[in-house]
Amino acid sequence: MNDTPKTPSRGLLAWLEQRLNVTELFSFLSHFGLVYTPIDTRRPLKDVLAEIDTTPVTSYARWPHVLGVLAAILFALEAVTGLLLAYYYRPSPESAFESTRTIVRDLPAGGFLHQMHTWGAYLLIAVVAVRLIRLFWDGLYRAPRELLWFSAVSLMWLILQLDFTGRLLTWNMKSYWAAERGLEVMWSLPLVGPVLSFMLGGRVMNEDVLIRFYVLHVALLPLFYMIGLYITFGTIRRVGLSAALEQTRGNVTTFRQHYIDLLIIALFLFAGMVTLATLAPFHFLGVADPYTTPAGARPPWYMLAPYAVFQRVPGPSWIPGGVMLAVALGLLLLPVWSRAGDSRFDEKRVRIAGAVAFGIWLALSVMGAFLDRR
Amino acid sequence: MSSRPRLPARLLAVLLLGVAVGAGAQTGTVAPPTPDTRATQVTRASGRCGVCHPADRAAFEHSLHAREDVRCVSCHGGDDTTLEKAAAHGRGFTGKVDRGSIPQMCGGCHSDVEKMRPYDLPVDQYALYQTSDHGKRLRAGDRAVAVCSDCHGPHDVLAPSDPSSKVFPTNIPRTCGACHGDSTLMRSRKLHDTYREYLTSVHARALFDKGNLRAPTCVSCHGVHGAAPPQTGDVNKVCGKCHTAERRYFNAGRHRGAMADQKVSECASCHGDHAIPAAQPMRLAKSCVDCHDDRGKEAVLGQELLADYQRANDELDKADALIARADAVPLQTDDYKARLEEARTYLREAMTATHTVQPDVVSGFSLRAHSVGTEIQSEIQGKLGNIRTAKLLLILFWFYVLVTAGILYRIRDRRRPSR
Repeated sequence: MNDTPKTPSRGLLAWLEQRLNVTELFSFLSHFGLVYTPIDTRRPLKDVLAEIDTTPVTSYARWPHVLGVLAAILFALEAVTGLLLAYYYRPSPESAFESTRTIVRDLPAGGFLHQMHTWGAYLLIAVVAVRLIRLFWDGLYRAPRELLWFSAVSLMWLILQLDFTGRLLTWNMKSYWAAERGLEVMWSLPLVGPVLSFMLGGRVMNEDVLIRFYVLHVALLPLFYMIGLYITFGTIRRVGLSAALEQTRGNVTTFRQHYIDLLIIALFLFAGMVTLATLAPFHFLGVADPYTTPAGARPPWYMLAPYAVFQRVPGPSWIPGGVMLAVALGLLLLPVWSRAGDSRFDEKRVRIAGAVAFGIWLALSVMGAFLDRR
Repeated sequence: MSSRPRLPARLLAVLLLGVAVGAGAQTGTVAPPTPDTRATQVTRASGRCGVCHPADRAAFEHSLHAREDVRCVSCHGGDDTTLEKAAAHGRGFTGKVDRGSIPQMCGGCHSDVEKMRPYDLPVDQYALYQTSDHGKRLRAGDRAVAVCSDCHGPHDVLAPSDPSSKVFPTNIPRTCGACHGDSTLMRSRKLHDTYREYLTSVHARALFDKGNLRAPTCVSCHGVHGAAPPQTGDVNKVCGKCHTAERRYFNAGRHRGAMADQKVSECASCHGDHAIPAAQPMRLAKSCVDCHDDRGKEAVLGQELLADYQRANDELDKADALIARADAVPLQTDDYKARLEEARTYLREAMTATHTVQPDVVSGFSLRAHSVGTEIQSEIQGKLGNIRTAKLLLILFWFYVLVTAGILYRIRDRRRPSR
């Protein structure tokens, strides 16, 4: 790169650049994981891009260490499909199901859009969950990556909340009762339970719940999710990629190649979603009936473990609720109580403890799924 | 000055008034001023009879008669103004009315056109009763037959529209069953225990389980006051009051003439008389051979009609299942649902038309149902097929995805020309 001023180039970008700091805009986008090299916003975009183009990237930043970016891409896809769905959706108990059916049945490509949104949600949860497990396994909650861990756990919580609130919006017989059971689980959490229930609109299902779920689903939770994404990539920019692993491998690629790799991954992700939405569509269920509980009404899968405990363990419900809350907070505060250097919390032990906890959670979930099935 | 009361007198009056008002207020708060009519007051209806006959009085007081100025003495005679037994039971006193003369006694008022006119009540009950089996037997000296008071109650006569009346629709079977469910009594008269038979019928289920007050009770078929079993030849008229379409088809068919000639009961031969089960298509396979040879052409016809019905029904069931599948996609199915309902109506009409025992009439309906069922199926299959075809577009889609990925992979390693 030479520092001699170039002759002013022509074209739209140049025209725009004279009137707007496009690099600044690009830098804003980079906050959400697109770029993690430092960007000098005083330089023209072309220069910045050219520099990024040739900046070497460690092999560490490649698959499977791109789950965070996938979480951002999938979220963007969810935002776009969700926005289009919101054009026709009406959040009131009287018209929620009707409008959903109109979207899915009568609008061109509405059914496809809805399937994409649903499958995208499932994939997004999978990506965020796998990413959390990976961060845990590689010990990426230790200093200076506490923020990375906090944001990862928060993203997990947020994505589950997004799923929980989004499920209800279709107002079909399954989603209604799943949300009802979910509200029961929420209510049983000590201290935060009543607060959460108040925010969600009540202890049981009523007309307030739907509109609040809607607002949470389309406005508040996505905003929090974007903040979580920003913290994720902001902290990566500050502390760098995982140093210990980085040193063991050399630079194998440039950012340019890295982006194209990401683009290819995103392309295949999108194609996979289209394929799933076409070949394995979710069934459209009948309207919710508040007066009849369908057989086997249970909360969404991620609430099955506490649900199983509530259903089978005698005693006040705040005890299992408290355990659940303690586990969730314990997971969030993992970097605080497992400081590096403390021999009791060496990597191996924490991993084993995590695997055992995961196993217990899985067993309880399976139990919850088969509860009252007969 | 002399007209004006003196001061002490006025003071006294005010004081007395205050005491009276206070006392009034006190009684007002302590007990509601409702006199107990049952024990203390002499009403016009029962006079002083109730002093010695409190139970009869209590039953009579809440009857329709007591409200309409009928009194104890209207039926029993005597004097209701005295407590002296000899005087009260004197002067035309009849005492307990003889069972044999009850219809006549009730008829004394209820056959009187002038008396019944203000109530807009019929006056033919007595005449009808005389034509009934009850009335005929009574005249022949059988005293164990129903008279007015057995069904309407002796004293507690209530309007038929009153749910606690013995002649309210849901109470009628029990009222008739008091005698007709008494198997000893019925056996002595060579009759069945038809009450329990009725309770197993589809009519009783409609009346009791579904609460349909228009469902037939005993009186719907046998008549009310002129109760008698319908005669052969009349049965299809009796049943046809409600089952109009069945009657129309039956009368158009060959069974009518043949059964009348053979003196065979029309509807009851296949459906039973009191224990009438719900209409089942399967009956087509069984009922014919009750009378006809089980290898004859009639038995074959029954089997054919049943087969026609089942074929059409299977098609409609398949269409129903396909609609459920289309709803799960979801496709617009409102039109199919309406047409399916229409086809089910044809099929019901086909069952009704079996009363003609003419295969061309019956299959006219069942074939129509069948064809609507297959139409719905083929249309839904077509739409589902469109979705399957759309899935083939995935191949094209993946082709473009792979091409794009290939292009991206190619430009991935291309170095930018350095300026």
